[in-house]
Amino acid sequence: MTASSLTLQAENGIDRTARRAAFLHHGASILLLAVVGAVFAFPILWAAMSSLKSTDDIITGTYPLSWSSFVPLKATLENYVYLFSELNFQRNLLNTLIAACGQVSVAVITSSLAGYAFARLNFPFRDVVFGLLLLTAFVPVEAIIVPLYRIMHWLGLVSTYPALFLPFACNPFGIFLMRQAFRDIPVEMEEAARLDGASPLRIFFSIALPNVRPTLATLVLIQFIWSWNAYLWPLVIMQDPNKQIAQVAIANLKSIPNSPMDGPLFAAATAVTIPLVILSIVLQRYYVRGLVTSGMK
Amino acid sequence: MQPTTAPARKKRQWTGPNSNMILGPAMILPAVVALALFQYLPLITAVLNSLQSFSPFDQSSTGWVGLGNYSDIFADPAFRYALLNTFLYIVLMLALTIPLALLLAVLLDRRLPGTTWARNAVIGALAASEAVTALIWNQMYEPSSGLFNAILHAASLPTQPFLTGGSQALVSIVVMTVWKDVGLPLLIFLAGLQAIPRELHEAAQLDGANDWQIFRKITLPQLRPSIVVALFMVTITATRMFTPILIMTQGGPQGATTNLALYSYLQGFEFQSQGTASASVVCMLAVLAIVTLAQSYLLRGQQEK
Repeated sequence: MTASSLTLQAENGIDRTARRAAFLHHGASILLLAVVGAVFAFPILWAAMSSLKSTDDIITGTYPLSWSSFVPLKATLENYVYLFSELNFQRNLLNTLIAACGQVSVAVITSSLAGYAFARLNFPFRDVVFGLLLLTAFVPVEAIIVPLYRIMHWLGLVSTYPALFLPFACNPFGIFLMRQAFRDIPVEMEEAARLDGASPLRIFFSIALPNVRPTLATLVLIQFIWSWNAYLWPLVIMQDPNKQIAQVAIANLKSIPNSPMDGPLFAAATAVTIPLVILSIVLQRYYVRGLVTSGMK
Repeated sequence: MQPTTAPARKKRQWTGPNSNMILGPAMILPAVVALALFQYLPLITAVLNSLQSFSPFDQSSTGWVGLGNYSDIFADPAFRYALLNTFLYIVLMLALTIPLALLLAVLLDRRLPGTTWARNAVIGALAASEAVTALIWNQMYEPSSGLFNAILHAASLPTQPFLTGGSQALVSIVVMTVWKDVGLPLLIFLAGLQAIPRELHEAAQLDGANDWQIFRKITLPQLRPSIVVALFMVTITATRMFTPILIMTQGGPQGATTNLALYSYLQGFEFQSQGTASASVVCMLAVLAIVTLAQSYLLRGQQEK
């Protein structure tokens, strides 16, 4: 037994005692944390559980309260089978994916180009344009949806894939995020490249962009989640059921007269939500930074 | 784009007007086109449309009517309820979300067993979509077969109408939205808490301050910038609330949950009335502007004291 493993053991011992002390001292807080986690996780987990119950079980099994209100006692995959065979839900998922990829692409292009220009280049009206841009953070899409629809109609884009993401090509959040990231690169790096004779465009692609990779990851993730979850705009602009995105397709399951679709609804909600929730938790370093930076003007 | 001048002038080129007069504007061009076409054009259109009347058949303008659309909507009781409800949503959301987020942030700031679990759950709720979470909560709120009434029934408490009750529907929607969106101010507060120097707390503890005194005298003042940001964000979230209302109640019962966002949507797409839809949108933006201006005024006043 070497000295280092002995110290390791000792540290473990201390750690364990410290943890036990923490449990005793903070018992109430730890219990509270467990409850808080349960409250926030419950609805989504409950929906995932319910997706394994038949529609009849969901309707009759929840009330009055029993074990079957929470867990599928007769677990079945019939909702998923129905969803992916009868309802062709994979079609909607594919459409959501197309819209999200389109959104991510246009947002990355506009935000990184404009973010760099606002951070590093001097040109007339730069600050005026930037101010006008930030102002739109206060204008929610709900407020401009009627005229925006008319504009898309005029452009002949109603019920096309680009209509799902093109209107959100310029988003103040993304440009602000990229501008901050480019500003944080030491000017000396770009100076050195410039002295070596690199053009400003070359500097942008080979020095600036590679140095903001974590922020690009944040931007991609935030835009992807935002687009994946969009509901109102696709509902309005997409009138072709074959190109409709998943969120709207799920909500449509709620209102089918005389034929309750609760099982498939929970299955679709689970299929759309669980992967995204896992993604946001695994990549929370990027996700949280994006959310917090968006608020820090 | 390659600079061709002597090395001595390079510094001036970089920050000076020569090379960037073209590159700068070119790089913001895609963003500016999208900004003009999809943000400002609709916004200006909305303001102009609110001053015109439209043919119900082909949606073409039939002339300027001044403030006619505004007097029309203010004469409509449904609009007045929507205006009132918009303020109600804002007040309730702020009153519930900000203190809860503050409380949870203080709880989550300490590294204890269970912190990760609670934080992950909050982030999960935040990342899930409004549409899906509204559908799930809609099932739980269901008066005859829903989970909440099953729990109330099992606890021998009277069951509730929730979304179908005129006085409960709006609060039910707010509760769901607080559950979903409290994560955003919470994460802002957590970032703010982590920026507070530990020495401040330790010094106060040495001086014999208790937890509440430390929170009041150190944590809250230090968190001030984060609180200002969170107030603005929650105000915007509350003013634009739409998807949960459309999915859970469609604005009912009897308009009890309709806000200006839903009212203008219904005017524009259900009743095909562009003039009144635009006028109510302008009112919604006015509410947002008034509330945020009032907030910044009040908060500035407090700082000067």
